[in-house]
Amino acid sequence: MARVSNQQIVRELKEGDRIGCRHLVDLYQWRLLGEATRVFRVPRVDAEELVNDVLLAVVNKISTFEFKRSDGDFHFWVMTIFRNRVRDFMRHRASTDGLWENFDEAALEDDKAYSASEREVVRSILQNYEETLTLPEDGEAPAKNSAGGALEAIAQALDKLETWERVLLRCRALEIPYEEIARQTGKPAKHLKVYHARVKKKFLNILAQYVPIAR
Amino acid sequence: MNTRRDTIDLLLQLAFLEGKITTHGLYEQTVPKRKPLMRSADTARAALAQKLEVALLSSRSRATSPLTLGTFLRGWRQHQSLRPQDVFSRLGISSNIYRMLERDRISPLKISLASWKKMRQFFQIPLNVLEDMIRRTHQLVYFRTSFRTTLARYDARKNKKMKAATLEKAAEELFARATLPLPQKEQEKLNAFLKALANDNV
Repeated sequence: MARVSNQQIVRELKEGDRIGCRHLVDLYQWRLLGEATRVFRVPRVDAEELVNDVLLAVVNKISTFEFKRSDGDFHFWVMTIFRNRVRDFMRHRASTDGLWENFDEAALEDDKAYSASEREVVRSILQNYEETLTLPEDGEAPAKNSAGGALEAIAQALDKLETWERVLLRCRALEIPYEEIARQTGKPAKHLKVYHARVKKKFLNILAQYVPIAR
Repeated sequence: MNTRRDTIDLLLQLAFLEGKITTHGLYEQTVPKRKPLMRSADTARAALAQKLEVALLSSRSRATSPLTLGTFLRGWRQHQSLRPQDVFSRLGISSNIYRMLERDRISPLKISLASWKKMRQFFQIPLNVLEDMIRRTHQLVYFRTSFRTTLARYDARKNKKMKAATLEKAAEELFARATLPLPQKEQEKLNAFLKALANDNV
């Protein structure tokens, strides 16, 4: 099947043409499913539901979408909806099961590069994040905006790194290939692969300065 | 291949999802270039497409039934690619009144019955649809004063203007959709107007 453009999908959906729905599913379902399961480690069943929600939101809000620069605008718009849905999923998981329990703690425990206090830093940030999402006893809804506040230290610590180090950490966390990061930073991909673990360690040390640990 | 995930990466992902850090579009650009890991079964894809088709149809029917006079007038004029000045002269109302009507800034009760009769004929709207739009618009205009007072108290340091505009738009839609009881005197005024409009069209 010939690949349809985003422009065509948007036009079809805006005109109420049903074929637009099929084209949307063909182009985005597997793509988003792959991202949800591979990058954000959302379990397959939840990922399918999440992607369905994203595409449903796209169809429901298509009348509000306008191309401003290029064909890629639509892709960015879909990805923004996707990101918000994944964030909601993470928030839900954090406020119910807890994120620490879902994290592969062994990965950190096994790595001799991380000290006990550094592990505590990570745990402290996650607990702080979870607490902001937990329903207070008075029954008032938790302030969702404050959830991001718990992660403020991460942005502050990243700012203390060199630009290429910052780009490397941010991009690798989202599984952007080293070759792509190399193009952005001007550093060879091999060099980035070697330095990734060291930069992580450096980041964690800086992060520890921003996060008070309860002892 | 090491399939285990580093906790630092997951912390960074959380910060990304919460909008604390960004890749300046690099992540979004990478997504279409990735090799697909899996494809859903044909039946699952067809089921999803069907679900989306239903949503598309219902969203279109929602969009085609205007809630207020302003929505209707604006939609009609834009559909015909006309300017406001092309319309108000044909309706026999002044430019100011027409512009206020398009923005739902004036109660339809302030417009004469003769003008409504003219507009109904011009737009070929069924009486019950016009009555419904008049009712909703009057309600919106009546309650707008109270939500304007509420909005005046709204304060946020960041994007104050944009947030206020979003809130106002949401409130307008809410008031237009909601069935809110008007004070008795106001309701009687509206009923009398609608009755006169109906009688006038007999």
